[in-house]
Amino acid sequence: MIIRGGAIGPPPFCFNGGSKRDMTSAPILDIRDIHKDYGSYQALKGVSLSVRQGEFIALVGPSGCGKTTLLKQIAGFEDATSGTISIDGRDMAGVPAAHRPTSMVFQKLALFPHMTVAENIGFPLKLRKVAQGEIAARVNEMLTLMQLKPIYLDRFPRALSGGEQQRVALARSMISSPKLLLLDEPLSALDVKLKKVLQSELKRLHRSVGVTFVHVTHDLEEAMMLADRICVMRAGHILQLGEPADIYYRPADAFVAGFIGETNLFPVEITSRAKGRVRYSAGSFDDASGELPEALVAEAAQGAALMNVRPELIRRIGPEDKVDCRVTARVTEVFTKGGTVQYRAHTSQGMDLAVEIQGTSRLPMEVGEEVHLGWNKKDIWVLPGGEP
Amino acid sequence: MTKTWYSDLPVYYQNQIKAMGLDEAGLARRRFMKGAAAAAGVAMLGAHSRQATAATQMTYMCWEGYNDPRIIDPFNKANGTEIGFDLIVDSPGGFAKLQAGASREVDLVSSDMPWITRMGPAGIAMELNPDDYADVYATFYDQFKPPFEPLLNDGKTIGVATRWGWVGPCVNTDVTKPEVWKTYDPVFDPANKDKICVMDWGDWPILPMALHAGINPYEELDQAALEEVRKVLRAMFKNTRTIVGDLTQAQKGLLDGSLLGCIGAGSYLTSAVRKQGHKNILGLVPEPKNGLKQGIIWVEATAILKETDQPELAQKLLKHVVSKDSGKILSLLDSTCNVVTNKAVEELYSQEEKDILQVDYMWHAWDNSQMHRIAPNIDEMLAIWQEELAAAK
Amino acid sequence: MEQGVGKSWRDPELLWKALPSVLLQTTCFVAPLVMTFLLTFQRTRDFQLRWTWDLATWTDVFSKPHYWTILGHTLVMALACVAICLVLAFPIAYGLATRFKTLENEIKILVTFAFITDATLKTFGWVLFLDKKGAANYLLTGLGFPPEMVSFLFTDWATLLGMVYNLLPFAIFTLYLSIDSIDRNLIFAAYDAGASKWRAHWEVTLPLCKPGIFAGSVLIFLLGVGVFLEPKVLGGGTSPMSAELIRQTFETRVNWPLGAALTFVLMVVSVFLVLLFSRVLGMRRSGFGA
Repeated sequence: MIIRGGAIGPPPFCFNGGSKRDMTSAPILDIRDIHKDYGSYQALKGVSLSVRQGEFIALVGPSGCGKTTLLKQIAGFEDATSGTISIDGRDMAGVPAAHRPTSMVFQKLALFPHMTVAENIGFPLKLRKVAQGEIAARVNEMLTLMQLKPIYLDRFPRALSGGEQQRVALARSMISSPKLLLLDEPLSALDVKLKKVLQSELKRLHRSVGVTFVHVTHDLEEAMMLADRICVMRAGHILQLGEPADIYYRPADAFVAGFIGETNLFPVEITSRAKGRVRYSAGSFDDASGELPEALVAEAAQGAALMNVRPELIRRIGPEDKVDCRVTARVTEVFTKGGTVQYRAHTSQGMDLAVEIQGTSRLPMEVGEEVHLGWNKKDIWVLPGGEP
Repeated sequence: MTKTWYSDLPVYYQNQIKAMGLDEAGLARRRFMKGAAAAAGVAMLGAHSRQATAATQMTYMCWEGYNDPRIIDPFNKANGTEIGFDLIVDSPGGFAKLQAGASREVDLVSSDMPWITRMGPAGIAMELNPDDYADVYATFYDQFKPPFEPLLNDGKTIGVATRWGWVGPCVNTDVTKPEVWKTYDPVFDPANKDKICVMDWGDWPILPMALHAGINPYEELDQAALEEVRKVLRAMFKNTRTIVGDLTQAQKGLLDGSLLGCIGAGSYLTSAVRKQGHKNILGLVPEPKNGLKQGIIWVEATAILKETDQPELAQKLLKHVVSKDSGKILSLLDSTCNVVTNKAVEELYSQEEKDILQVDYMWHAWDNSQMHRIAPNIDEMLAIWQEELAAAK
Repeated sequence: MEQGVGKSWRDPELLWKALPSVLLQTTCFVAPLVMTFLLTFQRTRDFQLRWTWDLATWTDVFSKPHYWTILGHTLVMALACVAICLVLAFPIAYGLATRFKTLENEIKILVTFAFITDATLKTFGWVLFLDKKGAANYLLTGLGFPPEMVSFLFTDWATLLGMVYNLLPFAIFTLYLSIDSIDRNLIFAAYDAGASKWRAHWEVTLPLCKPGIFAGSVLIFLLGVGVFLEPKVLGGGTSPMSAELIRQTFETRVNWPLGAALTFVLMVVSVFLVLLFSRVLGMRRSGFGA
């Protein structure tokens, strides 16, 4: 079985981009058992989440999963049906958006079309009755931080390019020094090239200002690149919360595994767990030993389970090569994608596999070829079976 | 009837061919195909040019009421005509429209008499030979028989009088007494403030007020006389609650008693309400004041337009409009009821209908009234009216 | 962009394509205007137009104060109507665009009905209601109000009521369209930046409604300047407005040159006021490109 996700994750060494911060201090954002109903529709069904000061957290999930709803609760645009949200130790119940120490960057930026760039950026300070001179100074500061040219100040937002508007929106959100910066898919409308530039810009900004970022996105690659932790949501629940590598290599269930990137899920049957070893049987591939170290098996996996084998872990082997698990398959498709080559293969047990091989392989494969494929029990992960 | 190349065509086309003079002998010598092609061409033309269809199409410019289907339909049926209407909403407007070029379209016009008379010198209306209308005049009231001076222009008769009535106070006898209205004094009585209604009908409210001020508006007025008119209008506005352009609005105000009296109208306003059974609404004429008659007689007349292409049919229609049967219908419409000039109609009235029309009162009104005609200084008086109205509030 | 515009004047194809529009504008708009203006230099005598080419009409217009009193009265009434309509229409349109979004279609149908219902009918309806023996007076007298209070009909206030009543849908509709087109996120962005509801309204909603406010105001002002039914029916005709003066001049006095001149004066003053208003509202600011 192949589950196709939104993006293929980068190799493991790329993940720890965000510097680890103080894990012991009180959370800047503490969400406890939030429910949100729209009439009979339950958008959030008991979400709890704790975010540390200075953390960059990404909320990901398919549309309708509740990630944007959760963001609105944090910003104070809507009141939760039940549950509490505390920011910096203060309960936010009844505190309107205007008085929350949060700031939002909207999906379509929501720059005020009737105000100049300078007026847009300075607007939050104007509302706080900051003196004109100081506003101008702060706006200039923001301009430098956002690498915007001063000549833009007197222009109207619509005269700016998409990337420039993005920077103005960020500047407006940052000028009031919020404790939490909420980003509602602000990069989703940009083309790939510009998106990459602004992603690294966001990263740089996060590092330099030390503000906590809560970033909603449906782009997994973006989340993997930017976030310290990723929170995967589905249908109003949090499915998994963890560091990008955790999520990628140890998904909580088949949904997360598939959502996070293309993968192969082999059905296995767990027969026993003892002394750190897990015994299992598999009909979809050959494993001479029939056992696994317990560290590679999720707590919740019992009985029918799925072995998650990422495409890049599978390689071509000779008939006599020694590997932990093996399978024979016929190659059905070949795609060359930059430095990697992706294959589709149909196993003799009737499963379609995704295989990804870095660079030029010693043993290239061709469509129609009968090949031996194998993988070792090192980076695999056994997760609970059944449809989530 | 001899057979011609076009006698097999529908009557409609035959008429057009005749109208175009295509039935001349010279044409008959031409080949049939050529003639048929011409006929087709004529038919096409006929759709656009009134000239070609004038045999059946007529246009009648008139006040609402003259177009009553009970009057017009029998005429259409008898003469194979199709009459279209151009309804007048106010007499000068109708006159102006004719002068602006509508006279080319219109065949017959029924409007206020002074305007009909004026159509003579303006070259719009045809001069009539009274002898041609002897049959019509035979049953007319003597007052309207020729020579009827107000309809004469340079001694020539311009139109035939049709419907008439009087202008004077219109009152509700439940809230006021007719005797009080022997003069226009109640209009200026502070006790009646806001209970007097003035019709916004151009010259109609101005003329009685001028008469009340002792000025005869039908004579050439000097500056001093106009100043008197200004004074009386100013005094009138002072006491007036509303200036009403709509007949029903005034009728309603009289009926519910919120208005004691109404100025600038007369039998034209009261009769329809009387027809509905409200006999407490009366159209009166004040007594002469210092020898000056205070009432005004209005007459409507009908004239044939000079440019009509159907003079015979237009004359026929004119005679039909003043006929006994048409007169009865015209005098008892739903919107307004007014006596007509044809005495023969009187014998068709029931006692109730006579009461509605105040037939017993009409010659009293006639005797105490001026005959309405064009007031020489009406434009100055209208300008004064506008000025005083603007200054009133 | 600018270059393109400059070029188009020399582009024969574009000129050719613009010809129908230019012709239409000329025949339907410019020509009648020019003819109206030319008419003001003539005179009428004996209810007939005389081509005299003199300034008699204009002398009359500028020497008689009452034309100007009536014009002033008309402008004041129209401006008052604009102000009242805007104040009333804004909350209604705002409510329609935000609170009652689910009823949007029903409301649009109702507003459209208000447009197509005959104004004459509605105006006379008010007479019946406000009349001395009407429902309103019955109610007010019953509640013990003095008689001065209840004689509301046939005053300028009644005229104004009728104008507001008949023109309000125009204001609601234009404002509704402009409020409806505002991205809700802009309001959220204002809250997020620290604005109270009132402040967000003042800083964001109102400025963004400017085109709607301008369009609605101009529409109501021009319609208001042209009303004749309301002053006649509800105002009792004792305090006429320009349209009635012009009608009287054309129809009753058959003084076409004077009517044309009065029309011209009204038009020029109205256009001037609209331009002034557009300047005050800053409609030319590049935020709108109006």
